[in-house]
Amino acid sequence: MPDVHVTIDGTEIAVPSGSTVLEAARIAGIEVDTLCDHPAIEPIGACRICLVEVEKQRALQPACTFPVSDGMVVHTRSEKVVGARKFVLQLLFSERNHFCMFCQMSGSCELQNLAYKYELDHWQFNRPMPTYAVDASREYFVMDHNRCILCRRCIRVCDELVGNGTLGLKNRGADAVIIADLDVPFGESSCISCGTCLQVCPTGALMDRASAYMGASDQVERVKSRCMGCPVGCGTELVVRDGQVIRVEGDWDAEPNKGLLCVVGRFDPQHEVRERVRKPLVRQGDAWSIADGEAAYGLVAEKVAAAGDSVATVASGFVTLEEAQALGSAVRGRKFYMYDLPQTDRTATMADLDEADLFIVTEMDLSLDFQVAGMAVKRGVRKRGARLILVGEGENGLADWASMRVGRADLAKVIAMAKSAERPVVVSGPAGLAAAREIVSAVPAASLASFAPGGNGRGLCDAGFGQTYAGDAAKVTVVVAGETSQVEPGLLDALKKQEFVVVVASYREPWDQVADVILPMPTAFEKSGTTVCADGQAGQVVAAMSTRVPTLEATIGMVAEAIR
Amino acid sequence: MAKLTLCSDWLDVCSGCHMSLLDIDEVLVALLDSVQLLSTPITDLKHPPEEGADIGILTGAVSNDHQEAVAKRMRERVKILISMGDCSVFGGICAMRNFFDAEQVLQYAYTETDSTAPGQQVPRSPEIAKLYPKVRPLRDVVKVDYYIPGCPPSANTIAYVLTELVAGREPKWTDELLRYG
Repeated sequence: MPDVHVTIDGTEIAVPSGSTVLEAARIAGIEVDTLCDHPAIEPIGACRICLVEVEKQRALQPACTFPVSDGMVVHTRSEKVVGARKFVLQLLFSERNHFCMFCQMSGSCELQNLAYKYELDHWQFNRPMPTYAVDASREYFVMDHNRCILCRRCIRVCDELVGNGTLGLKNRGADAVIIADLDVPFGESSCISCGTCLQVCPTGALMDRASAYMGASDQVERVKSRCMGCPVGCGTELVVRDGQVIRVEGDWDAEPNKGLLCVVGRFDPQHEVRERVRKPLVRQGDAWSIADGEAAYGLVAEKVAAAGDSVATVASGFVTLEEAQALGSAVRGRKFYMYDLPQTDRTATMADLDEADLFIVTEMDLSLDFQVAGMAVKRGVRKRGARLILVGEGENGLADWASMRVGRADLAKVIAMAKSAERPVVVSGPAGLAAAREIVSAVPAASLASFAPGGNGRGLCDAGFGQTYAGDAAKVTVVVAGETSQVEPGLLDALKKQEFVVVVASYREPWDQVADVILPMPTAFEKSGTTVCADGQAGQVVAAMSTRVPTLEATIGMVAEAIR
Repeated sequence: MAKLTLCSDWLDVCSGCHMSLLDIDEVLVALLDSVQLLSTPITDLKHPPEEGADIGILTGAVSNDHQEAVAKRMRERVKILISMGDCSVFGGICAMRNFFDAEQVLQYAYTETDSTAPGQQVPRSPEIAKLYPKVRPLRDVVKVDYYIPGCPPSANTIAYVLTELVAGREPKWTDELLRYG
């Protein structure tokens, strides 16, 4: 688009036609304060903090939504503008409960920061002090309507990014309240607790149960890392205080998730209840004893040395590429992956999902597994009008987004539809892979997003763990579990039949049912390494906490030392 | 030059703001060269003298009729009135009770808490100050000249404001000096 010339605070610049005043100001390097605006979503001009003076306009205009035109002259810091912003802030503070002294957001609050900046040393207007309900019906985070400023960021991310469309607004004006579905408790609504709204809330209206009051923004560090929970491989920002991760947020700059996370990646680590393994544990009959390092590593060394090549190593998706390489070079015998193997042919990326006009999801529920990919499907259906076909029977969390559901027998119909689509993407897990392959082979334009359990499955395949473990007999079975909790009963049954099972794990359960020795392993928060996502992109896992638990490499070294 | 005279008092308050006032440490000693403390909650003289004073500091919110009277008397007797602390400026912690009915609050405090002995009653003596339905910030009751928010305001902020006022300059709240909570 052709450039238009605008003058902002005396600086003349050329910006693309169609830009908003806010975008133009940013190009000119001029900061305009905002509150309801968020870079990841469309602006709506709800809060009026970004008001600017546009010459020849009758009233002040919100910079976030007002489009530039050629020759426009804008003042962002005039007395009138500053006065209006202070007035808007006074109005915001005159509603509801904005007492900072008992708010968990104090120190991290965008509303508070603006009040400091505009030097609000008192509130000008009398306060009606209305009382709104606090909705604590969700497990991981709480909605306090009394802290809400109605910026609608939560509504917009739920609609535009997550594609869930759970949130909305009831009533008008000052009585407006954020609601879920048709005004049911959040915990009973269609909310999937992904926490994206929590991450964008500028005030204390949405409160994370685990990290409330645990650290304000100037007391914490942020470490960019990568989730190892599933092969979507979302970029994370680990919020760390005093060496502890207090909260996980989505990294807005990261592919493939662009700031989104699912309920598992965001909340599970902070709500882990399993017992941590910090010292080697050795089974004695039905009891477990904490062994001193030498005895445990000695026992493992003795068994491994005696087993010769009859060693089976089983890695979960929480094993990094570097850890896999260390295992590969140090441990003899056969190498297995704990789950079904990921497929790598005709890989669709998340960008492909965001451009698809037809989604075909075979035999899987993307509301339960690989949820961030499910969000791409949902927003594609909601925002771009893409169609969704679900192949397979049974309950499916994406049923409300689907335009069609077919049985396994009706693949011909699906293939016909896929052939008429421009950018069809087939999404499948291990169960639906045969059907997915059939569709993809018949439709040249189709790409395949194939997800298998485990974060680093693709990296592990590359590192020689390219066979699914099926209870293969060995004298010593080494399970490198990390923090995985995705354990099929069949795997445990198979391990129970093995002669000697060493599990290297962060948590004791469920491995204490099957292991003879459990050795400690760092969690994904405590180690650095590489993970390969489903689309083949490598991601860096970065340690955010230090630990005295030995790295997997150190554990291998101690066993090797004991063998010598 | 005659010393400036200063009075302070507290309303519905935890007294933390006065602790922060004492926390200005050696600045207090320096201030005493040019300021004379008349009445404070921690001196023998509790009420501002009838002949008046230059600066008055009130901490705490206005929750009952007694506190309103104290606030009005201070306003009448001082030239400059400073509202100090989040409770005084905004209503603060005290205003948490505004989300409930006042009678409900009394019943809970006197008869229902875990530490209340059985058979306790809400005291209703006419000599006891009457609780207002809503807690109000000081500015809702009297005219205020300066506001120092904070829970409590930092000693640095208090020291800065008093030093500026004593020197005859206008204090200006910027950056670290302006904090809530």
